Amino acid sequence: MICVEFQSPADGVAREEALFAAGKPALLLWRSVERGIVVPRSRGRRPGFVGLSMAAARAGWPLMLRSSGGGAVPQGPGTINLAIITPMPVGARVEDGYRLICGAISEALMRFEVATETGSVDAAFCDGAWNVTVGQRKLAGTAQRWRPIGNGQSIALIHAAIVAAHPPASVWPVLSQVEAQAGGITPPRREVHVALDELLPAAMAPQALQGALMRAAEDRLHHLPRRSLEGAAAA
Amino acid sequence: MATDIVIPSDLWEEDEECVITSWLVDDGASVEEGALIAEIMTAKVQYEIHAPASGTVSIKEEADAVVAKGAVIGTVA
Repeated sequence: MICVEFQSPADGVAREEALFAAGKPALLLWRSVERGIVVPRSRGRRPGFVGLSMAAARAGWPLMLRSSGGGAVPQGPGTINLAIITPMPVGARVEDGYRLICGAISEALMRFEVATETGSVDAAFCDGAWNVTVGQRKLAGTAQRWRPIGNGQSIALIHAAIVAAHPPASVWPVLSQVEAQAGGITPPRREVHVALDELLPAAMAPQALQGALMRAAEDRLHHLPRRSLEGAAAA
Repeated sequence: MATDIVIPSDLWEEDEECVITSWLVDDGASVEEGALIAEIMTAKVQYEIHAPASGTVSIKEEADAVVAKGAVIGTVA
């Protein structure tokens, strides 16, 4: 199986963070059986988070914490996560990480004649300038965590959450509450998102796309400057 | 002699500011060089700030402060 299936989103996040802690180049494609909403760990330190978390769990969307930045992301069987752990070359900037993962997703989808762009989408969950979009609707969101390792180098966890199928309608009011608690003004809306199952014939998705995603990500990892890999191995 | 805790000036391309999402040590805490002491976020990237030296941390910019590239957010002495 190309896509690892975890029971809980927390299990997938924990696996990503273990790979990041190991500090070696790695790729992980995963999804979870159970549903949940994953938020940056810094949100967990905000006042009112415990009450918010209890309310979300009662609504069927327990909150879980991750180490990368961004906003609230629904997880479950309809979300495919691509995690790339890689040392970044001296002088690399965060935009290089985004180009890497957005480029991999774009290349994989091009094999199925789906053209993508990048950009923000008003009222998308976890919005940002490096969403992968199709027809101005959000297909995937991206975020990163960087750790400096000395000599100007860093290890990066570069993550994308790809909407394979729209989440159940019950998620939207919970997402709105979670974002409002963090000061968000615009509630996330379903109609500004697009899912893989709308774009790909059912016979193709999801196995073929998963293979294309892994190949595209591997290609990009292999083309990072060699000196960064050697530096990371010595760290 | 105090060593500045500095926001990297070349981590991202634009002149956007970043947010100190958390200090993981208290003001006045003793730390070892290389310890994870704070996290900042910009453009959905969580970046770890590690102690530049061993000593006592003095926090100059609190959590949730918005700071520019190259800003000094504290010192270790």
